[in-house]
Amino acid sequence: MAEADEELLERFASHSVDRDNAAHFRGRLNRQLLINRCGDCGRWHHPPKPVCPGCWSTAIEPSEVDGTGEVHLLIRLHQGPPAPGVDYSTPYPVVTVELDEQQGLCFTATVEEGDIAIGQRVELDWIERAGVPVPIFRLAREVSL
Amino acid sequence: MTSDRNPMKNAIAFAGATTTGFERRNTTRSQASWAAEACIDAMRQCDLGPKDVDGLCGSWPPANELQAILGLPEITWFENPPVPFINHVSAAAAAVFAGLCEVALVWHAAYRQPWNTAGSLKDPFRAAAENFPAVAPSPDTVMHAVGYTAWASRYMHEFGATKEDFGLIAINDRSNAARNPAAALTHPLTMQEYLEARMIRWPLCLFDMDVAVDGADAFIVTTAERARDMPLPPVLINAAVHGMVANNEEDQIDGLAHHGQHIVVDSLKAKSDFWIDGADVFFPYDGFSIIALAWIENVGYCGAGEAGEFMRQYWDAESNSVRLNGKVPFNPHGGSLSEGATQGSGHVREAIHQLQGLAGDRQVPGARTALLTPGGFFFNAQGLTLIRD
Repeated sequence: MAEADEELLERFASHSVDRDNAAHFRGRLNRQLLINRCGDCGRWHHPPKPVCPGCWSTAIEPSEVDGTGEVHLLIRLHQGPPAPGVDYSTPYPVVTVELDEQQGLCFTATVEEGDIAIGQRVELDWIERAGVPVPIFRLAREVSL
Repeated sequence: MTSDRNPMKNAIAFAGATTTGFERRNTTRSQASWAAEACIDAMRQCDLGPKDVDGLCGSWPPANELQAILGLPEITWFENPPVPFINHVSAAAAAVFAGLCEVALVWHAAYRQPWNTAGSLKDPFRAAAENFPAVAPSPDTVMHAVGYTAWASRYMHEFGATKEDFGLIAINDRSNAARNPAAALTHPLTMQEYLEARMIRWPLCLFDMDVAVDGADAFIVTTAERARDMPLPPVLINAAVHGMVANNEEDQIDGLAHHGQHIVVDSLKAKSDFWIDGADVFFPYDGFSIIALAWIENVGYCGAGEAGEFMRQYWDAESNSVRLNGKVPFNPHGGSLSEGATQGSGHVREAIHQLQGLAGDRQVPGARTALLTPGGFFFNAQGLTLIRD
C-alpha cells in the first residue's frame, strides 16, 4: 500500500517533498530511482515538474531508471548539515551523474569513496540512513564482454 | 531571444550612492539600523527631504518598515525584490521610467546570518530570530550555493585550471580592498596563504567565498533630467539586463558554455553603447571566485578556461592586482570576497563613485564608463552598463 502523505513527508523531512516530487520519494522507499518521463514525447526530466518541458504534456510518468551513468560534477564537503552517519572529518563526496537514459539528464547523490573522478562510470546502489533508503553511486563493476 | 530594444537607455540615472562601510563581525546593531543610516546619507547627499522620495526598493528591511523608520510621508511605488542587486536597480529604473514614481530610494543591507556564517549565532538576537527547520537538510545535493563548488570542479576538469587561477581573483580583490576604507578585509593576501586556507567544500576554500558582513549601501534613482538638478554628476543607466536558460537548476544546466551569463552577455551587448573595449572599469561578480573567472571569459576578455592566464598576463606587480592595458581594474573596491558580501550593491556603488570621481585612492583617472556583471550561473545572472552624464 502506498505510504500516506503525512508519513512520506515525515520520513523525508530532510528533503523538500511536494505534490510534484512525491512519487519520486515514494520510489526511494522501494529502492527504486524514479525519474519523470513524458508519456507523449518520451523525454525525461529532473527534478520533477508538473508538465513536460519539451511538449507541455501533463502525461508525466515517474519511471525507473537503470542508475548507470558518468560522473559529471564532483565535490567533497569538508563541512555541511548534520546527517546521521555523516562525519565530515573525512570529506563527504557528492556527485552529479549524467544518466544513460538521456544526454543532459542528471541526478545528484553521494558516492562510495574511492578513486572517484569526473568522467568515471558509476552505478546506483542504496544505503539506509535514519530508517530511509538513500541512493548512493559507486564505481561501475567491470563489464565482461 | 535577446534584442537591442532599450527605450529606457540613458533616461534614468543614479543621482547618488552611499555606504556605511562593512564589518566582518556581529555588530550590536540591527539590519534595519544599517539600512537607515545608508538611506539617510543618500538622501542628504542628494539634498532630498522626506517628502521628495516617492519610490522605495529594498529587500531587508522591506519597504513598509523602511518607510516607517524614516517617516517618509507618501510612497506611490515600492518593491521588495530578491537579491542580487540588479533586481533592485532594474525594478527602480523601470518604475521611474514608467512614471510609477519619480525619485526612488534603493538600498541593500548586508547582515551576518546563519545562512552565510555560523558565527552569527554567537549574537543571541540573531540566534533568536532564526527559524531553523526541525530536521536538517540532506547533504546529498549541489543545490543553492553548493552549485558553484560543483561547477568549479567541472571547470578544473574541462580546462586543466588550477587553484592558483582561482587564487588570483581573491588576491586581486584583497589588494584593491586595501585602498577602500569601506572594506571588511584589507590586509594583504599571498598565494601561499590562499592555497593553505581552510577547505570548505572542495575545490573551494574559505577565500573563494564572499565574506559575511554587517553594513549597507543606498542609492537615489531618478530621471536623468531630475538628477541633473542634484549636487553630484548623474550616472546614466545605459542598459540593465537579466539572463536565464531553460535548464537552470544547479545540477541540470547544459554546461559551462550555456547558462545565464551567456544570455546576459548577448542581451547587454545588444542594448549597450559600449562593450569591453570601451569600459573604463569592470566588475565581474565574485560571490564565489569561479563566478568571476567565468564572467571574465564570457564577456570576451579571453577564451573559455583562459581567465587565469589572462590575469597573469595583465598582472601589475606594483599594485598586486589586474590592470588591463595598464589601467582598467577589476572590482577596484575589493569585491564580495574582500569588501563584503553585498549581493552586488557594493559593485554598483563603487561603479557610481568611480564615474562621479569620488573613489578616493582607487580612482580610475577620467573613468566615464563601467561594465558590471553581478550574479552567477543559474537563476541570477545580471548585467549593467553605466555612463557618466
